Amino acid sequence: MKRLVVVLALVLSFMFAATVASAGKIEDVKKAGVLVCGVKDSVNLFGFIDADSKELVGFDVDICKALAAKLGVKTEFKVVTSKNRIPMLAQGSVDILAATMTHKFSRDEQIDFSITYFMDGQKLLVKKGSGIMSTDDLANKKVGTVKGSTSEKNIKNAQPKAQVISYDEYPQAFMALKQGKVKAVTTDSGILAGLKSGDDNPDNWEVVGEFFSSEPYGLGVPSNDSAFRDFVNKSLNEMWLDGTYQSLFKKWMGYDLPAGWQIELWPM
Amino acid sequence: MDYNFHWEKMFHGEPAQWMWEGLATTMQISAIALVCSMVLGTIICIMRMTPFKPLQWFSLAYTEFFRNTPLLVQIFFWYNASHYVIPAGINEWMNDLYVQFPGPFSLFGYDFIGEWVLFNVEFITGTIALTVYTSAFIAEEIRAGIFSIPKNQLEASRAVGLSFLQGYRYVILPQALRIVIPPLISQALNLIKNSSLCMVIGVTEMMYMASQIESYYAIPFEAFSVALLIYMTISLIISFCINMYNKHFMIQVMY
Repeated sequence: MKRLVVVLALVLSFMFAATVASAGKIEDVKKAGVLVCGVKDSVNLFGFIDADSKELVGFDVDICKALAAKLGVKTEFKVVTSKNRIPMLAQGSVDILAATMTHKFSRDEQIDFSITYFMDGQKLLVKKGSGIMSTDDLANKKVGTVKGSTSEKNIKNAQPKAQVISYDEYPQAFMALKQGKVKAVTTDSGILAGLKSGDDNPDNWEVVGEFFSSEPYGLGVPSNDSAFRDFVNKSLNEMWLDGTYQSLFKKWMGYDLPAGWQIELWPM
Repeated sequence: MDYNFHWEKMFHGEPAQWMWEGLATTMQISAIALVCSMVLGTIICIMRMTPFKPLQWFSLAYTEFFRNTPLLVQIFFWYNASHYVIPAGINEWMNDLYVQFPGPFSLFGYDFIGEWVLFNVEFITGTIALTVYTSAFIAEEIRAGIFSIPKNQLEASRAVGLSFLQGYRYVILPQALRIVIPPLISQALNLIKNSSLCMVIGVTEMMYMASQIESYYAIPFEAFSVALLIYMTISLIISFCINMYNKHFMIQVMY
């Protein structure tokens, strides 16, 4: 009986300690001195390993570095895939996600999102001269995409007769396209442009079709932490206003930001 | 820390349909691979026992190669190598192959199967990889069974006038296969579990469906535990059937 009481007391004290320990994310990050970011490592232009310096670079990587600089901490990068990025954030393995993630309401059930920091849409990558010009030409043909992405559902809605095969990551889907096992790869046009430019013969491939879905990218932040989300939104606004965002965009995409789109700006 | 389990999501609508399709594909790929690997394994084993040296060496190389490499590596090898090894015409035909189960299938208002792909290139290469891998193990087990038959059986068959192949077909193999059924059953169970590795090339079997449910509906624990229970049930049913068979028909080899 006495041992039971001691054990119960220990268990209750752990429960209370657990609830007390979950203070705000900003304080945790500042105390740890490092912001752990989940990024992709095989998406050209957004998060990839540079061939010469062998370091993780990209648009998403630079956004994380800018956010960490505003907090005054270092950055640590963890590689995520489309399938495991949300579970990793929900469990706390990473503090923030910058992994070409579309902001969807169904994803809001598990995590929160910042304001849209990149606007993209879905297109098709095909072999040049294959005759596929839009999703209408994909009836009864095989299309490759990546597990856990919005592209899977959107291509099934756009062309119900297409045969969709989901691979682990974009390089595998591109390899299947090269081998003729799928006739097209579909995902966000920025990622497709990266796949095409990263290949040995970029002229063999072309990105075709109109946007058949819109993909607003958002940074993933843990649920129920308004202070951290407000900080991220404010930092994105500051980056836009002082020109950092535009220069990062030009650096990675190679062209200036298209006129007419801006991130959601709120007065300070 | 809130773990809200959503078991009801698994049993209605699309996730349930996907799990049934996955189960159907798992059973299909396991059945085809099992039959083919039994036949192929027996052939390889006979090749090992012939007095003709090159066939022996081929069989030895085959078993050693396919037993000592991981199955996942073999699956990727067959999937990617088909592009370079198979002639272009057959390759094109195989890549465009897409045979689907005709029509959705529902019973009493419960949708069992929506879209079930019967044959495509991923399925074919996955089956080939599983067949070849398991046949190497089966060849070794049958060889162990053959060695347990006394040599005078083979000598007696030669004395009666049967040729080498006839001796094996009518005298040795019937005795050896009866003895070697328990290891063969464990190979069959291994095959069913190994078929889950085919998900990496896109074969829409049960593990692929479970991870698709995880990425669409964000219920990983429920999806994977249902898959786990289904695999366990299949394996237990097969073990139970074989135990019944053993009790009734194999009295002479049980201690």
